[in-house]
Amino acid sequence: MMRAASVGNGLQDLYHGLGSFRLWTLLGWLDIRQRYARSMLGPFWITLSMGVMVGSMGVVYGTLFGQKMAQYLPMVGDGFVIWGLISGILNESCGAYINNANYIRQNNAGLWVYVFQVAWRQALMFAHNAVISLALMLAFGFPSLTVAWLALPGLLLLVANLVWMGQIFAILSARYRDVPQMVAAVVQIFFYVTPLMWRPDMLHHYRWILTYNPFGALVDISRSPLLGAAPSAQSWLVAAGMAVVGWPLAVFIASKKLHLIAYWV
Amino acid sequence: MPHIEVKKISIELPVFEVKARSLRRELAAIGRRNAIAAQDGKVTVQALSDVSFSLRRGERLGLIGQNGAGKTTLLRALAGIYRPTSGTIIRAGRTVPLLDITLGLDDNSTGRQNIRLRGLFMGLPRQWVAEHEAEISAFSELGDYLDMPVRTYSSGMRMRLAFSIAMSVQADILLLDEVLGVGDSAFQAKAKARLREVAGRAGIVVLALHSSAAIMELCDKALWLQAGSVRMIGKCHDVVREYDNFMHHRLAA
Repeated sequence: MMRAASVGNGLQDLYHGLGSFRLWTLLGWLDIRQRYARSMLGPFWITLSMGVMVGSMGVVYGTLFGQKMAQYLPMVGDGFVIWGLISGILNESCGAYINNANYIRQNNAGLWVYVFQVAWRQALMFAHNAVISLALMLAFGFPSLTVAWLALPGLLLLVANLVWMGQIFAILSARYRDVPQMVAAVVQIFFYVTPLMWRPDMLHHYRWILTYNPFGALVDISRSPLLGAAPSAQSWLVAAGMAVVGWPLAVFIASKKLHLIAYWV
Repeated sequence: MPHIEVKKISIELPVFEVKARSLRRELAAIGRRNAIAAQDGKVTVQALSDVSFSLRRGERLGLIGQNGAGKTTLLRALAGIYRPTSGTIIRAGRTVPLLDITLGLDDNSTGRQNIRLRGLFMGLPRQWVAEHEAEISAFSELGDYLDMPVRTYSSGMRMRLAFSIAMSVQADILLLDEVLGVGDSAFQAKAKARLREVAGRAGIVVLALHSSAAIMELCDKALWLQAGSVRMIGKCHDVVREYDNFMHHRLAA
């Protein structure tokens, strides 16, 4: 039955996509398996390359900024691991439809599946990188559990925000092939202006860079608990606000445009 | 009870030039929004226009027509992949499309893993794989190859796997696009028998085929598409005879 586009149907599509979790978890896992097929370390290449980056950047910038390594390395390490998730979902969502054209033109499985596939793939990569966070805790001490558990809801809210952005980027990218490049460029800029390699209090001028950077809040709610500090209430508010505004927007755009994807890819 | 009701559907396919797809073009066109600017480089192809027909249980419809007549587009619309630009399709029953054997299989997964993947794509429950794996294995005659990655398969073997999976689903509506062309004659005979059986258990089968003989053999109804429009629909024999005459005259001319 062909239906007219409406927001109600948009919600139904989303619900149907969530229900197909067996499909998107399998597809996400197949991606990982294929990428690292026949290599000896397999997906632990993700961990290794991230570990080397954290180690080298941490030491260099920690020295440049004159920081104590015991505090600076965990901050950079957890920051990079979380940024890996952020940039991974945002960048690769752009290809969610483009790269799955062969499945899209053969099946009518609902299109949210492919966005969740990307998120799941990145979540698996994040799980591999989390080993680094663990190693840093072993080396520099564990945060107290009373605060650390806050990282879980923080990460969930972070991913929830990334997925709605991912859906919008996926749709735009299917139609306009410049969008993946644009997203990559913008994500790269945010990498530098988000407090990953530096602490917010090190920024003496240009405070507005922090105030108007939503990724600052997203990193705060997911990383600070791992470092033993409670995220600020403001960060939680900003992150929750983004989800409250972003999800209806993504569902609305999806309800208007998803039926065109098969024509665009 | 499975049925398909197609009411005056039209489909316009946008074809993007490499340049037309860029955001720069679109932005540049904002200032001068007129018909030409908006159409700048974007070509739409009228793939189907005003197609109507209906099918009831047990009917087997053959789609015939020259290359580019809209057979695949119509099948994609029936599968719910393309939403028509105008008109409506009412469809009741579990629909299983098998539109292109090279699509929809994961090359790096084994045949067995692909059975699971296809099952999930069709929204089938987890038990389905367990219940039908042996049957698919037997029908496809792939033997030990079922545990080899699909990239090692010949095109005939891929077709056997994809076809066997599609056939093992309790489909009410089966949509097939030129898939019977591949595979050896022994498998083709088996496949044809299976298709009749599916239609026999009160299903609907729609298939696109180039061979008039195969259409006559498999279908009871035929639809002749020409340049996206219905040229003729009716009893299989009548339509195929007209079509063959037409093609014969074109050859002679």
